[in-house]
Formats: sequence, structure tokens, C-alpha cells
Amino acid sequence: MKHHYWEPPIALYLFLGGLAGGIMFLSAIFDSFVIPGHTDIFALPVLIAFIAICIGLVFLLVDLGQPGVFWRVFRTAKSIIKWGAVFLVIDTIVSMLFIVAFLGDSLTFMAPLSNLIKPIASPMLLVGGFFGLCIMMYTGIMLSTLKAHVFWATPALPVLFTVSAISTGCAAIVLSIGGWPAVVSLESLEAAAEVNHILHTVDIVLVVAEIIILLTMVLSFLGAGNITAKKAAKRWVCGSYAPLFWGGMVFAGLLIPLALYVAGSGVASAVVAPVLVLCGGCLLRFLVVNTDDRAPLPGEERYMGRIATHKNAFVKRWNYDGENEF
Amino acid sequence: MTRYVMVIDQRRCIGCHSCTVACRTWNKLPLDIVYNPVLSEGAQGEWPNVHKYWTPMLCQHCANPECVPCCPTGASQQDADGTVWVDPKKCMSCKVCVNACPYGMRDASHIESRLHRFVRKCTFCRDAREMDPSAQPYCVKTCHQKARIFGDLDDPNSEVSKIIGSVRTERLFEELGTEPQIYYIPDLGGKA
Ligand code: SF4
Ligand code: SF4
Ligand code: SF4
Repeated sequence: MKHHYWEPPIALYLFLGGLAGGIMFLSAIFDSFVIPGHTDIFALPVLIAFIAICIGLVFLLVDLGQPGVFWRVFRTAKSIIKWGAVFLVIDTIVSMLFIVAFLGDSLTFMAPLSNLIKPIASPMLLVGGFFGLCIMMYTGIMLSTLKAHVFWATPALPVLFTVSAISTGCAAIVLSIGGWPAVVSLESLEAAAEVNHILHTVDIVLVVAEIIILLTMVLSFLGAGNITAKKAAKRWVCGSYAPLFWGGMVFAGLLIPLALYVAGSGVASAVVAPVLVLCGGCLLRFLVVNTDDRAPLPGEERYMGRIATHKNAFVKRWNYDGENEF
Repeated sequence: MTRYVMVIDQRRCIGCHSCTVACRTWNKLPLDIVYNPVLSEGAQGEWPNVHKYWTPMLCQHCANPECVPCCPTGASQQDADGTVWVDPKKCMSCKVCVNACPYGMRDASHIESRLHRFVRKCTFCRDAREMDPSAQPYCVKTCHQKARIFGDLDDPNSEVSKIIGSVRTERLFEELGTEPQIYYIPDLGGKA
């Protein structure tokens, strides 16, 4: 292993993509099946999803070496990344249109356009919810198909990412439901309170599920015979990642929000718990993306430990214009 | 049909790294990229019962590569003769293929200017064969020990076919199902 090929922008992209997918998925379910008729209260959550996708795509493009070639993704291949990009673009468009449909409620000059889209806002959200689910699954499946990396190549990873994405989406909705541009009315406040109430229970279930999946995955790697998997899991359980894993992810990102959701009321469960869930979800993506251990070839570590890497001052000072004649 | 493969005779390799130098010189590689490292775990055993062997590497030009189907732009591709290569004009450097390769045989240089990075890997000297179909890869031509042997596995009279048919060869990480096409004749020890 020379270095991490995927750096923090990719982890953030996976987190933001999952967050947006989770928001779209839950909003669609609540709007279509749980409390129909209050579509406007989901305007702010969907706006957050839209912003998350946009920032995520910016991070993705920033990480590319030749962003100018990105368009090829939509033309040529059938790879998983291509599908991810397609899902993301669909949800970008759907969420944007959805927001426009409700901007008119607050900005009068937008009203004619909003009134045009409003009748189809609810079915549109359902479409967005479906592709939101696709995005959440894609972020995990993309990593889990890379079987060179034992820590990623497990079916538990897409499940973990999807559950975590729904729970971060849940947290974001709790924080934002009913806000601008929706017009505040007694009815919408009641609907928002009802959604919040159900979401608290949903997030409790999701957080418990996440703890179970996370511990199952990490501990089964720890007990596995595979040396590379064991080494990676050791780093999580009792190595350099342990403070972030136990303290950050399990304790601050899952157990504390769980306790606050169960026991707390007011600010603790309405603001603190969801914020912690969001931070925990972000940390999860960072740790997983960084755990890119590959089984070394015989002698590979010795070799790589001896040659200069791109971080070496000697290498850095080298100007490469593609035609170096040494 | 043609199926290019390489046989690497680890009994012959003396760990001189000439192939590494030849490859990086001919392919004008940036300093932080090596297509064909010559790996070794160092001296094994305890004096006087010691031995040391080398594993010359390169892309395994897998018959079932991990790095081709995952590429979202179509830059990572495989020729009919088995050669796996990246078209630098099409590659956006998303590094999925780099993470997909179980052998760590791909990387993008960090020295090139920020917006002109693409993923590089051994090309089986495809460009040399384009000019002269009978050309041997640079790393093969340079190996004075003849430890690297290149040829067409579909031709029963080629040197590689004869070796693979008559000598026990091993392949790296065969259990992954990538069907690597670099055949190693293992060194069974004896050199210090
Ligand atoms: S060794 Fe790696 S880069 Fe080469 S063909 Fe196989 S998977 Fe692809
Ligand atoms: S880095 Fe380039 S060759 Fe590799 S998968 Fe991405 S676009 Fe394809
Ligand atoms: S076949 Fe050519 S590109 Fe590949 S390692 Fe040998 S010299 Fe380098």
C-alpha cells in the first residue's frame, strides 16, 4: 500500500450523497404514505438534500484528476459509478423542481412558476425518494464491489451505509421540517410535530440497527482468519482508530443520541441528538474510506517502504511536464 | 487468436532492477510511478541455511480483470490480445480502478499538473507493438538473465506455451478469480 488513493473529498461525497438520499427517501415515504396532504413541510428538508448533493458533486469533481472528462460517464460505461452519477443527477433535478414548487409560498415573484409545478410536487417527491434509495445503496455497493479491499468487500457494508444514510436523513428532517419556504400555519405545525414524533421512534430503531450492523461487521473481521481484515479491524477496535471508533462513532454518534432520543425532550432530542447522528454518519464514511487495506504481495511493503513516495521532498521538486528526458 | 502472457523465471532473477529502469526510461514515467517493481522479502532463514528470491512485478493483464468493468468512462480497457491499458484522454482519474486492482498495479502521478492527472499502468508495451508487431516489451528486452519471457500463449510453438505446458508455474492471488496472465516459475531457495 503506497498511500490512500481516495482522500477526504470522496468520504464527504459518500456522506453527503447518502444524506441527500436518506432525506429524499424518508420525505417521500412520509408525504405519500404517512401524512399525505402536507407536502410543503418537506420543502426545507429537500432544499437541504439539494444542497448536500451539489456540495457532494463538487467534492467529487475536485477529487478528479481530469474533471473535463466527467461527461463520458453518461455516454459510455455500465459501471456502478455511472449509475451513481445518473441517480445523483436525477435527484438533483427532482429536488430542485420540488423546491421551486414551494418557493412561491415565500417569494411572490416565483408564485406563477410554483403554481405550475405544485400539482406534481408530491408524485415528483416519490420519484426522488426511489432514486434516493438507489443513491444510498449505491454508495455502499460501489465500495463493496472492490474486492481487493477486504474491509469493503462485504455485503454488510452497503447495509450499514444505507441504514446510516437513512438515519442521517432522519436527523436532517427532524432539524428542518416545516421551515422556510413553507408558510407556517397551525395545520403545518401540527403535521410537522407528528412527523417529528414518528421520526424520533424511527431514528431510535435505525440507530440500534446501525450499532448492531457496525459491531457485527467490525468484530467478525476481528475474528476472521484473513490477516489483512484482522489487521484493519484491530486498528478500529484497539488501534489508532479506536478513539474515533469507540468514542466518536459508537459513543458520541450512536449511544448518546440514542439515550437522548429515548429519554430526552426539548432541545436535547430535537437538536443535539440529530446533530450528533449527522457527525457520526460523516465519521463513519471517513473511517471506512480510510480503511483501504489490500493484501500485500510478497515483499511489497518492504519495497514501498524504501522508495520515495509523492510526499518525498526529492520527488516533489521534480517538475514533470510529460516529456522529461531525465 | 493471440493471447499475450509473460513467464517470469524467479530462479533466474538476481534482483538487479534493470527492468524497472528500462520501463520507466522508455515510458518516460514520472518519478512517483513504477510499473514493474522487483519485490523481495529479503533474506529468509537463518545462517547458514538462508535464501533470497525476488518477485518481479507488472500488471497481471488479467483475463478477468477487476479494473476494466468498474471504469465509468471506458478509459480502462482490454484489447483482444489480453492487453489491459488506460486511454489517458478518456480517463478522469476517479481512481476506482486503482482501488479495484488486487495487485496494486495502478496509480495516478501526483507530480503532473493538477488537472492533467490520469491513471497509469503497465501497457504490456502496447505502443512498441503498434510500431513493430514482433516487438518485445522493454523490460523483457533489457533482462540480461532472461528471467522475463514474453509471448503468445495461443501459439503452441511459442516459448511461453512450451514453458507453461511443461514446467509447474504459479500465479499471484489466483484464488481471487482474476485469472492473472503472468506465470511465475518459483524459486525454491538455494541462493543466498
Ligand atoms: S493486475 Fe490489476 S491492473 Fe492489471 S489487469 Fe489485473 S486487475 Fe487490472
Ligand atoms: S481512474 Fe480512469 S481508467 Fe480508472 S476507472 Fe476512473 S476513469 Fe477509468
Ligand atoms: S511490459 Fe512494458 S510497460 Fe509493462 S512493465 Fe514491462 S516495460 Fe513496463
